[in-house]
Amino acid sequence: MKNIPHENILLFKSCLVNVEYPGVESSTRYLFDHLGVEYQVHPDQSCCTGLGYYYDLFDQYSTLALAARNFYLARESEHTNITTLCATCYAILKKSLHLLNSNEKARSKVNEILEEAGLSHMKYEANMLSSEENIFHIVEVLYSKREQISQKIKKDFSKIKVASHHACHYCKIYPEQSITSSRNPMLLDELADCCGVKVVDWYDFKKATCGAGFSQRFANRDLSLSATRDKLYALEGKADVLLHMCPNCQMQFDRYQPVLEKELGRKIGLIHLNIAQLAALAMGADPYEVVGIQTHTIPVEDLIDKIKDIE
Amino acid sequence: MMEKKHKKSQHSLVREIKDNLRASPDLGIKRCMQCGLCTSNCPAARHSDYDPREMVKKVLDNNLEVLDNPDIWNCFYCYTCASNCPVNNSPSLINQILREKILNTGGNVSRVAEFIEFGYNYVEKGVGTIPSTFFQDLVDDFGEDYPKLKHDLPDIRRKLGLKEYNLKGEAAAEVKNILKASGFTQRLEKLKKIA
Repeated sequence: MKNIPHENILLFKSCLVNVEYPGVESSTRYLFDHLGVEYQVHPDQSCCTGLGYYYDLFDQYSTLALAARNFYLARESEHTNITTLCATCYAILKKSLHLLNSNEKARSKVNEILEEAGLSHMKYEANMLSSEENIFHIVEVLYSKREQISQKIKKDFSKIKVASHHACHYCKIYPEQSITSSRNPMLLDELADCCGVKVVDWYDFKKATCGAGFSQRFANRDLSLSATRDKLYALEGKADVLLHMCPNCQMQFDRYQPVLEKELGRKIGLIHLNIAQLAALAMGADPYEVVGIQTHTIPVEDLIDKIKDIE
Repeated sequence: MMEKKHKKSQHSLVREIKDNLRASPDLGIKRCMQCGLCTSNCPAARHSDYDPREMVKKVLDNNLEVLDNPDIWNCFYCYTCASNCPVNNSPSLINQILREKILNTGGNVSRVAEFIEFGYNYVEKGVGTIPSTFFQDLVDDFGEDYPKLKHDLPDIRRKLGLKEYNLKGEAAAEVKNILKASGFTQRLEKLKKIA
């Protein structure tokens, strides 16, 4: 397995975590604090542009120039192990570094943009950072700490059935760099197993997209929900919780599940949690002050009531 | 004579895609053998008339009709096609480049019109936001708890120990200046005008 850092981590803020599931960030910080992972959040970091990039709005050069600025912040603050909360941030940043390192023309143009913006000190030189060695997803850090996590579990999840949804932009854009396969994704399953849950082995549509499709959710709602429906219907009666590693997927399933239940005429009954939220809950974090369950559409309270302290 | 001309132009759509910054130099578009693994796993193909295998074929044939096919706008950008492709092609990426080409020549701008606000918000605050043009649609689907959540968000974030995420002062100015220098601000104005 690739080398996963435990210090000098820049925890990269995500636009959808900020406003939809802020508990994903606070749960991650809780876990990092309890697992001895050294990190910082930079107040001046801008978003990766990913939503805009996949709305067909942001061009590659604008995305690259903003990434170069964020890479400068990481270097300047000596926290160059950039670790994302969102699968799209992860892939956008990997692509940005790949382009900045390997494409001289792109790098020169980005540096010209920075100079014109009065930010010459932020210019990027080839291989200052590496796409392979400086960009991570929080799930990778948690995975590398899985044994420590399993020793710190305080809540009994043994009766809870959990299925996983591995985010496409983590597994499918740079599959050779991911620590799980896109054809048989098991990263979240193995992590969930460390938290003492019952893991659902396989289900139809396990590898399929959440259906958000960036602009599709808004411009093409019925098409978007058709894909969401595939997965939710496949999981009916098979699991209590669907685990996530991307806020866009979590939003698609958690917010739209009641819409699909109404259409179906019965409850699918899945609860949606990010893996960091599940691990934090299992380690005894407060549901409202750390895990942030109050921003969820599908209430998490039923699950909280079921899990008791381990004797 | 005709044939020669055709051959010359046959080169161009593939070349244009390979030369696009979004495409990696090793994109296996020319290696496509029409196996259809992309289409068999594609969520848009499952639920609409979009067919990534067919789309790639048209690109390889330099058939410009591909640009007029409304189905290409159904791609989810999930990269499932790319992850299944045996020759390192990425219909998802080709699709992105085709859509960019269409938008840059003034086509189908109405499709992105409602997302333009995302761009303006980013220019001002350096963060991604869900465009307010869609907010009512979301409330219709998610119910009245959703606007309440948006109202309560600052308190919830404080309780969770999280700080402000919108950029202000110098950081916001830096982002704004970068997007002006990159031509993004101008691109937004152009799209807005056409829309």
